[in-house]
Amino acid sequence: MIRNALLATGLTLVLLLVVLGLVLVPIALALPEPGDAIRTFLLAPLADRRHLGNIVETATPLMFTGLAVSLMFRTGMFNLGAEGSFFLGAVFSAFAILELPLPDWAMAPAAIVIGAAVGSLACLIPGVLRARFGASELVSSLMLNYAALFFGLYVVNYVLRDPNAGAMLSYKFPPAAQLPRLIPGTRVHLGLLLALAACALGAVYLFATRAGYEARVVGANPGFARHLGLRVTVIAASVQALGGLIAAAGGAIELQGMYLRFAWQSLPGQGWNGLVVAILGGNNPLLIPPAALALSYLQVGGDLLSRNFNVPAEVVGLIQALVILFATATAITRNPLLRRLLTRREAADVA
Amino acid sequence: MWHNLLLHLGGGAFVAALLRVSTPILFAALGALISDRAGVINIGIEGIMLSGAFAGVVGSAFTGSARLGFAAAVLTGCLLGALLSAAIHWLKADLVLSGIALNLACASGTVLLLFALTGDKGMSGSLPSKVLPTVNLPLLDRVPVLGTAIGHQHVLTWASLLAVPLISVLLMRTPFGLRLRAVGENAEAAAIAGVRVARVQFAALVLSGALGGIAGAFLSMGYVSWFVGGMSAGRGFIAIAAEVMGGGMALGTFVSALVLGAAETFATDLQGIGLPSELMQTVPYVVPVVALVLHASRRRRSA
Repeated sequence: MIRNALLATGLTLVLLLVVLGLVLVPIALALPEPGDAIRTFLLAPLADRRHLGNIVETATPLMFTGLAVSLMFRTGMFNLGAEGSFFLGAVFSAFAILELPLPDWAMAPAAIVIGAAVGSLACLIPGVLRARFGASELVSSLMLNYAALFFGLYVVNYVLRDPNAGAMLSYKFPPAAQLPRLIPGTRVHLGLLLALAACALGAVYLFATRAGYEARVVGANPGFARHLGLRVTVIAASVQALGGLIAAAGGAIELQGMYLRFAWQSLPGQGWNGLVVAILGGNNPLLIPPAALALSYLQVGGDLLSRNFNVPAEVVGLIQALVILFATATAITRNPLLRRLLTRREAADVA
Repeated sequence: MWHNLLLHLGGGAFVAALLRVSTPILFAALGALISDRAGVINIGIEGIMLSGAFAGVVGSAFTGSARLGFAAAVLTGCLLGALLSAAIHWLKADLVLSGIALNLACASGTVLLLFALTGDKGMSGSLPSKVLPTVNLPLLDRVPVLGTAIGHQHVLTWASLLAVPLISVLLMRTPFGLRLRAVGENAEAAAIAGVRVARVQFAALVLSGALGGIAGAFLSMGYVSWFVGGMSAGRGFIAIAAEVMGGGMALGTFVSALVLGAAETFATDLQGIGLPSELMQTVPYVVPVVALVLHASRRRRSA
């Protein structure tokens, strides 16, 4: 089993390298100094404390949405509501901070809880509609992401908006709402520890509790689960709620850890990023943190590339698309020839 | 206020707006329909639509011809449909995830290409792109209500109405349509009967891509006259909802596309009378969910 996990990880790394080459080389060649561009993308993120900090900061929300998507996919539901949950979680954490009379000591945690509770609806509703009525959770979650966006913008514009800020920004958050920073010289905040703890708990839930086992049985074989007497629809829907809570808490934590105001005008794309992380991590909560770090390394590289070489930051979107494609391409991942090649190399490494 | 609104709903201007708003949804929904009946539902139609919009603007700006721009949009759609087919048949990747990957790639790829070609980030303001013409019906445009409703519609709006019976015939009355439905119904049985499953699904995805490309061309060469990143704004997903509601038939898809288009038109009108625009913008996305639930629960009850 460990051999299989190693093999999967090795394959994923090789795929990442191939994808990186496929996207990066043509773009670099189109620039005046291709070597510099590639060096910036690959090495600059690792060069100093500030950029290493950027990688960790960027990875924090990815861990939440990656974990959320992993758990939801484990029940066999194609629920893409993490995007909407993340956004709504942030909106309603801002709402709690600015509008509710919370005492200072309770403000940060209460805002996270409230954001998580409201935001989870974007994942819960598609799950319930699927379980109860048989409506495609894929389509309804895609629709509700947009509904969540516009509903959230409504709340920001009509309730939270600071009329003196010029643009559509909320009022400033008080210091009590902000999560403490952990490492000086970076913006790494308490959310990182919460994300790691969530992934660890997610692993315990999935692999060491009865509820997690049932969720996996439902996902692996719903017919068998029904035969066992499991309440398939209830289990599947409740895991969607759990995924929604995690994704929405991620949104609230990202807002409270990184920002002083609510400023998003569109969906931040963390749900899609979470999907990529979940695929990279093979829907395994323990592999979510490294997968999130790998993706955020690419995002920081893309960001640096776009700032120093005047290339749109969308480069990373292309990389993500190819990662999804290749990592799920069974013709590659289950290719007997490739597998043999890789195991031999790993055996050689061990020896 | 409400009284005026109700009057407006029955008027020619509302019908005209409805047809215009429904056009891209209808094209994309018909594209989704063909792919779904072949058993390979095209989740990538959202990205294909976006790329079609991009190709239409860039193609018409560089050739100076709206027709060539339109051809570029259709061709791009076909190509992306073929790409999706390659992903699932050749790389054996997951159908839904490949579609999502295609959407992501198109969202980023169009912005990157626009930058590479023009130096603009996100919007094609500097490109002298062309638009496809409006069809003015002589005589009819002088009839009071009917004239406002259909007297001056975009050529692609007429084409979308024409596409409904054409695709219905293609799916239900031709040997190709029969093979396509057989593949979608039961791929293994179709394969045993001698149908080349992968080839039929490839054709279905290419056709589906072409329709998605046309939907995109309408967005950037009719609805508006420019390209902006993410301009499809979930219409591809709304179209998939319309296709599901349509019960796998072209006519049903047409009716649901009109219903969802009406939701969008109505929401725009309500913004016009002073209701919060953000809340009204949720309507085109909430209505498909409600409709999906109604459709699914009715089907479940009758089953």
